[in-house]
Amino acid sequence: MDGAEIVRQPAWMRQSSPPEQDRKPWRARPGLMILGAVVFLGAIYLLPMLTLIGWAFRDPKGGITIAQATRLVSEGAYHTAFITTFRTAIITTLVCALLGYPLAYLMATTSPRARTLLIAGVIIPFWTSVLARSLAWIILLGKRGIINEWLLASGLVNAPLTFLFNSLGVQIGMVHVLLPFMVLPIWAVLMRLDQALPSAARSLGASPARAFIHVVLPLSLPGLVAGCVLVFMLAIGFYITPALLGGDRDITIASLIEMMVRDLLDWPFAAMLSLSLMVSVGAVFAFGALLIGVERLTGAEGRT
Amino acid sequence: MLPASRIIGIAWGRVGLWVFSSLVIIFLIAPILVVMIVSFNDTTLFEFPPVRWSLRWYGALLHSREWREAFSLSLWVAAVVTALALTVGVPAAYALARGQFLGRRLLEFVLISPMVVPVIVLALGLYALFARLGLIGRPAGLLMAHAVLALPVVIVIVGAAFRRVDAGVELAARACGASFPRAFWSVSLPSVRPALISAGAFAFLTSFDEVVLALFLGGPGATTLPKRIWEAIKFELDPSLTAISTLLVGLTLVALCVAELGRAKTSRETHEES
Repeated sequence: MDGAEIVRQPAWMRQSSPPEQDRKPWRARPGLMILGAVVFLGAIYLLPMLTLIGWAFRDPKGGITIAQATRLVSEGAYHTAFITTFRTAIITTLVCALLGYPLAYLMATTSPRARTLLIAGVIIPFWTSVLARSLAWIILLGKRGIINEWLLASGLVNAPLTFLFNSLGVQIGMVHVLLPFMVLPIWAVLMRLDQALPSAARSLGASPARAFIHVVLPLSLPGLVAGCVLVFMLAIGFYITPALLGGDRDITIASLIEMMVRDLLDWPFAAMLSLSLMVSVGAVFAFGALLIGVERLTGAEGRT
Repeated sequence: MLPASRIIGIAWGRVGLWVFSSLVIIFLIAPILVVMIVSFNDTTLFEFPPVRWSLRWYGALLHSREWREAFSLSLWVAAVVTALALTVGVPAAYALARGQFLGRRLLEFVLISPMVVPVIVLALGLYALFARLGLIGRPAGLLMAHAVLALPVVIVIVGAAFRRVDAGVELAARACGASFPRAFWSVSLPSVRPALISAGAFAFLTSFDEVVLALFLGGPGATTLPKRIWEAIKFELDPSLTAISTLLVGLTLVALCVAELGRAKTSRETHEES
């Protein structure tokens, strides 16, 4: 802003903004306060991540190789892990969306008191230890678990049902862990939605279903997309639940990485698998960002 | 006027929505409640509902040195992580909310990204780094690793709070002669106090409940509570686990209440002022 422009402004505008020479040092400093975080994450997060990517392409003699990449692409055993991972993530995302949307809709449209109750029902499990929740599923659904004991006692089944240590167990556990990540972004968008809009559609003669499908649903899509992207990203990298509730046949990329390091000490290939996982997560994020914009997507990450 | 049949239709739709949502909430909450109830069993089986109630498994926890040590390690690691994440994260959140510099958006994205990077990948990268620095099995390594996860939590929560607060108040303090650090300390920080409290509570929980990094980086030397629980679920599955899980749920509730308390307090204060 030069002098001529200031003169052209009305007097009240000039008075309300602080003098120019004062603003500059004030503006310059806040940026510097980020340095601590940049140095810390640069050393403990970015550096190790970049080193890991480097390993994926380093051959034992110190040169560059794509041997790990070709191994990943050519061997069928690894394809199975990728298929398992993505199948699990897709099913988890769909089930979370189906269970989460109606709940989020109710949270947004009900009375404040009922809303508080519903929010507590979502937030408490959200912050409860994943281990405690996995243990809960083992106690409930195990071979000699509570549900099986009840089913046997009631005579509904003759032999205990197998819920756990297969893909069903993984699926139940993952939906349980990731459902709040779906509900919260959808709810946030629905809360901001002007309730006058569906009312207007209704007063113009639309049925409740029609008002919902043509007004509410399209306006809440950004929340749904944010929830789906978030759940999918977290689902493809998930390690704890498949490891505790899955069986030997449910090998995901994450558990493959752990096997490579723990049992085989094959660091270069583990690094290649990690890279493929990061690329997948990045691709899902980019896809979401294209659909609804980065701002909305990262805004959905707030956990409160 | 709407025809009666249509009003009944809406009412039924509403009832259906409530029934469906209640079932979803039950799905979310019931397993946690069941573990808590089972923990008061007097038998070595996971009986539900318990035939005889007792505090036997809580006693077993108290008497086990292993559990006590894991608990206290987790507690102090989480406390230091919280302090670290707040000291580094709050200024960063402020810079992202108020500063205008090149690459601010990109930087914000990078600082928040640990939230979605698969933890197993982070664990692998940190294992390689810490192995070279001799930090495997040391609490110091765990502290730094957990801080990587806790930092984005602080930045997101406190950053959102700084954006809601009018920067004009800080400018007024500056115009009245306050130095920049003084304005930050006595005006900016108090104005986001509830966010600081919830960010602290959530940073604490993030570290206290973290499993994967603890498994990879803890080694035999630093067994946190989640690492101990993991091993117990995999190899022993004894009823003490239900007691420790109940304690974890209790701790979560305390942390959530602390976070909520901060928020309620400020909304009352602003209400009185207006």
